[in-house]
Amino acid sequence: MKLKRRTFIKALGLAAAGSFLPGCEREVHHLVPYVLPDDEIVPGVADWYASTCRECQAGCGVVVRVMEGRAKKIEGNSEHPLNQGKLCAKGQAALQGLYNPDRIREPLRRPEREGRRPFEPLAWEEALTQLTERLRKVQGPVIMISRPLSGTLAELVSTFMRAIDGELYFYEPGADLPLRAASRAAFGMDAWPHIDLAGSDYVLSFGAPFLEGWLSPVSLGIAYGQMRQGRPLTRGRFVQVEPRLSLTGASADRWIPIRPGTAGLLAMGIGQILLAERPSALPETQRRTYERIYGDIPLDRIAALTDIPREELVRTAREFGSAGAPLAIGGGAACAHTNATESLAAIQGLNVVTGRIGRPGGLRFYEPALFSGTQSIPWLTERSLGELAQRALSVVLLYDSNPLHTAPPSIPLRRLFEQADFVASFSPFMDDSTSAADLILPDHSPLESWGDHVQPTSFPTAIVSLSQPVVTPLYDTRAVGDTFLSLAHRLGLSGFPRETFHAFLQDRWRRLLSEQAGTHGEEAFAAAWAHHVQQGGWWGRPGRELTVTAAPPPLPHVPATFDGDDQNWPLYFHPYPSPSLGQGRGANLPWLQELPDALTSAMWGTWAEINPHTAQAHGIRQGDIVRIVSRYGSIEVPALYYPAIRPDVIAVPMGQGHQEYGRYASRRGVNPQSILAPLFDHRTGVLASAATRVRIEATGRPGRPVLLEPSALDPGHELLTIGKARSSP
Amino acid sequence: MSEHKEEPQDGRPYKWEMVIDLDRCTGCEACVVACHAENNIRISGEQEAADGRAINWIRIERYWEGEYPNVKARFMPVLCQHCGNAPCEPVCPVYASYHTPDGLNAQVYNRCIGVRYCGNNCPYTVRQFNWFDPHWDAPLAEQLNPDVTVRQNGIMEKCTFCVQRIRQGKEQAEKEGRRVRDGEVVPACVQSCPTSALLFGDRNDPTSRVSQSAASDRGFHLLEELGTHPAITYLKRLP
Repeated sequence: MKLKRRTFIKALGLAAAGSFLPGCEREVHHLVPYVLPDDEIVPGVADWYASTCRECQAGCGVVVRVMEGRAKKIEGNSEHPLNQGKLCAKGQAALQGLYNPDRIREPLRRPEREGRRPFEPLAWEEALTQLTERLRKVQGPVIMISRPLSGTLAELVSTFMRAIDGELYFYEPGADLPLRAASRAAFGMDAWPHIDLAGSDYVLSFGAPFLEGWLSPVSLGIAYGQMRQGRPLTRGRFVQVEPRLSLTGASADRWIPIRPGTAGLLAMGIGQILLAERPSALPETQRRTYERIYGDIPLDRIAALTDIPREELVRTAREFGSAGAPLAIGGGAACAHTNATESLAAIQGLNVVTGRIGRPGGLRFYEPALFSGTQSIPWLTERSLGELAQRALSVVLLYDSNPLHTAPPSIPLRRLFEQADFVASFSPFMDDSTSAADLILPDHSPLESWGDHVQPTSFPTAIVSLSQPVVTPLYDTRAVGDTFLSLAHRLGLSGFPRETFHAFLQDRWRRLLSEQAGTHGEEAFAAAWAHHVQQGGWWGRPGRELTVTAAPPPLPHVPATFDGDDQNWPLYFHPYPSPSLGQGRGANLPWLQELPDALTSAMWGTWAEINPHTAQAHGIRQGDIVRIVSRYGSIEVPALYYPAIRPDVIAVPMGQGHQEYGRYASRRGVNPQSILAPLFDHRTGVLASAATRVRIEATGRPGRPVLLEPSALDPGHELLTIGKARSSP
Repeated sequence: MSEHKEEPQDGRPYKWEMVIDLDRCTGCEACVVACHAENNIRISGEQEAADGRAINWIRIERYWEGEYPNVKARFMPVLCQHCGNAPCEPVCPVYASYHTPDGLNAQVYNRCIGVRYCGNNCPYTVRQFNWFDPHWDAPLAEQLNPDVTVRQNGIMEKCTFCVQRIRQGKEQAEKEGRRVRDGEVVPACVQSCPTSALLFGDRNDPTSRVSQSAASDRGFHLLEELGTHPAITYLKRLP
């Protein structure tokens, strides 16, 4: 057939038209789900939403990358003054909290207290009715134990609890309450100070874990980088004092392995030397008070008690005294004893003696940020939790707090749940405490919720961060703020004019913006609100620095007490919050479970850190199961040789050993809390987690710790190193 | 036209390099999670991790120095060094491991046949093999980054310097007729690092922060004596 150009083109046109025809019949909508795409969704293009990290109390600003309605990544918000675009491992892993397969997906009720019948789902309507009925017919006290709340949610919940004559308590394991108490005692400031690390040139840290989840770890990390290499001519020095070298201590120039419980004594010794050798800026009377308190115990005695040679003590004091901007901070291991508050007061006093309060590179206090009405809400400590458990309670409300895991069983807390008439939890995950509830009204993920957060520690800029939902809620959960508003309406309480938490939040911001920025009128507010939501919060005004005028005398020294005598219980037990899992909050996130511990390279479990000499003396090989026994019980964990721990100390990270916390955390590892004695910082009542003495027993059984550095387990199987290869013929 | 020098047509290619200041690194591992989140690195689970098959494109190596009580820990973030003279490249029989004009040591996943020669030949042990298909418990897979391929069983993988970010940055810059600005493109690890221990940029730009930092007298390269010419300059931690 002769094919003309014209017929060819005709045929081509027909073929092309024909190829469209089947397209009409195929279900192409499976390929592109949006025939009319959502305004906010452009396939392949990411949206970024500003929000606030809720993994710890610091409240860093984050931006969340969202594509086609799914959150893809959490990054630091570069506009946020606190974290300046940086974010820690925990904050980034929060995404796996949103998409966690084990989230509670709907309201649940437990059919009976006794027996093993599982939780049953029920409708929100019914769940809210049940709780309303309970609250209406309440016979005795109603208490609520919540993780520390901030901003508008704190106001809403505390107003609600007041309206029903209930008691609201904040509870956070390992809360730095002794630090706040010590600031009150040493400077008359009831606040967490701003630690001006970036401006210091000599940091003397008594166990403060400032690079791993203490106060505001990301902003302290930024400041640390500045302190080391951010100034052209000055490289700040850093000395860490603690019985076990922590992740923070690993960055120090010098580690002083102090005997547990004696950090305050060392501070006294250094204070003595400073006062004797240096002209002090202190007024005469204050100087005499400090001389009396610091001079209470002779230097040689301090050297013997702290197990630090006198020369090292003198050297440290002289380095500290001759530095341009020395800074003394305390926390972590120094905070885990019965004398925590006194020790921290003695440590913070070193800043007073050298005149570093309110100075660049020292401890500074700023006017608290706005909305700080939550200051008056009492915090529970492990001691007061124990006391609470002795009371006959009617209704216990629980929000995102897991005391049955984070407090030792030697404090009979389970009573609190067993004896209360009714326990309701608002937690988004099933954990050891929530699984003891009668009714669960699950909260949204923070990435699905509105909220705001007030900067809790003193900071040069006043910050109120905003959270916004970045994805549509995945499940039939409800923001806890909305749940409380529903309850208030059902109970007929006055003072809750709004239907949704979003409206309640906006009301407060209307007040904030009219007071602070002079934004009046609905139109101006709408524009300002959009701006602040987009930015991630409100900040800008530099906070007013407070001058410390009150100079109360420092607290006199009190020796730390321990459970168990040193004959039968020769070792100090040193549990510490895991840098990645904290006290267990992060354990349900697989990224954090698989994150190798920076010092041991261990993943997915619990281990014990032991000085190699101690281990060998007990016949414990690397990786063997060791039994750690206290007067309150025993645990078995694989032992890892750890060269940077005192021979009389054995350390175990917290964070694992959950009974119930989803598939990644349940029944994994052990909880070192389970063998702790009920001893507390005697001033604040916070658990003295390092006050239990133990003995160890070799079981002879090999353990199976999961290590990224497997050669650590089997020294005979080391990889051939370059050096060895060279030296062999 | 006064900005002619800024245009990509000036012929200067990019040379992506990194500087890691060990005096700033605290071993916090924010970089490790950032990398996992950005690059769809699978969750291996306890068993596979115990068998040494967990995948980390960046890891924190820790070295103990000295004996108790004068003992020190040193951290060193180790990732693919993107060697100028990469030992992994010539051994690949299928050219899956090759060098890009920007100086990246790239891995073409759909060429890889899983012989693992490259992994054996890498002195930094930063190449990791997929011994099984990745798995995410639903709905964890919702998080996966659509810009990055998920690697299947039998594939070798490693750090790419977040090539998807580099490509996006270059495209944007090309559209605007300029070179990529210093700091405009950073891998996820660099972006997250709280202490700014990691820096990233164009070594062909003498004014970039990475060029200036790499000139520090604290600078060294990992296993320098092997002659691999790494693109990562470490700055020594001070005593």
